[in-house]
Amino acid sequence: MTEVRATKIKSTLATQLARPGGRTIADAKRLAEAGLQSHKAGVMEDLGRLIGQLEDLCVAADDTRQARVYALASGLVDMAGFFDTGPLYTAGYSLCDLTERMQANGIWSWPAVEVHVKALRLILAGGCKAGAEADVLMQGLKRVQSAFTPAN
Amino acid sequence: MAASSNNPNARVNLEHSSVLLIDDNPKSLDMLSSIFQGFGVKEQIKCESAVEATEILKRRAVDLILVDCSMPELDGYDFTRWLRRETPAPTRHIPVIMLTGHAAQSAIHKSRDCGASFVVAKPLTPTVLLRRILWLGGDEREFIECETYVGPDRRVRNFGPPLGQPGRRAGDLSTHVGEPAEANMDQSDIDMLMKPMRVAL
Repeated sequence: MTEVRATKIKSTLATQLARPGGRTIADAKRLAEAGLQSHKAGVMEDLGRLIGQLEDLCVAADDTRQARVYALASGLVDMAGFFDTGPLYTAGYSLCDLTERMQANGIWSWPAVEVHVKALRLILAGGCKAGAEADVLMQGLKRVQSAFTPAN
Repeated sequence: MAASSNNPNARVNLEHSSVLLIDDNPKSLDMLSSIFQGFGVKEQIKCESAVEATEILKRRAVDLILVDCSMPELDGYDFTRWLRRETPAPTRHIPVIMLTGHAAQSAIHKSRDCGASFVVAKPLTPTVLLRRILWLGGDEREFIECETYVGPDRRVRNFGPPLGQPGRRAGDLSTHVGEPAEANMDQSDIDMLMKPMRVAL
């Protein structure tokens, strides 16, 4: 059996947090949210550019660039995940799942990727709003996903 | 005791804390920095690579580390593993919050075993991040060191939430005990309960 050592630690973070002063939780949240929102316009432009790069990959349909699709989709999820981008985040996540699964199983479908990329473009153009239209798109993406999900 | 994130008038003091932010995406790094500025953190060290962060940590300690899981060269999981295993105390005990976007299947075990104090999945909001930081402030888990794992005790489910913090799991009990319903029993009352006595009927 391996030796296990358990130590009680008080982190310096805990000590710092216990100090008096600072700002109220409400102020901390409000200021952090305001700081984050100041980046939103730039991030939305970046997301548009990322979707553009995915569109280019779909047009080229070059099988040596499969890993690049996952990298771009993962980057999109990372950036979109800082804001309330609802269906855009979900569609990006779905594209990550899809590309990871297709690569793992050695099956690749550019049309399946393209459906996702078109959905991303539509959602972004619509202001990333949740609603009936987005729900229909998501259901479509789920159906595409299920076609590549191995049966148990 | 750490402030409760449910009480907006409670105060959080991160003014004297130093935070190390690690993300290969400069935009994400800027956004994290803005969030921490809002929290009142004055000393932020921004790194675009985990390798750069290892060099910094060899020279100095910080109070909190935020690292993105997915990075080229050295990812967040391997960075945390290095921190927990290869650095001396107190550096190895620094709380680490790992940020994840898409959780690749291949990374799930790495995530569980790397020794991060918290894994926070995106979408990320300042509210969620602050709640996790406050949670870490009251974290009473032991630090475990064994052959297969180095990091905070992962059996957090058995401990329940830290005092004054609401639980995140459906099965967590409330930490609010409430006011006593009646006066404390004195010793003779307790003795009466413990000692069997003969009574005449």
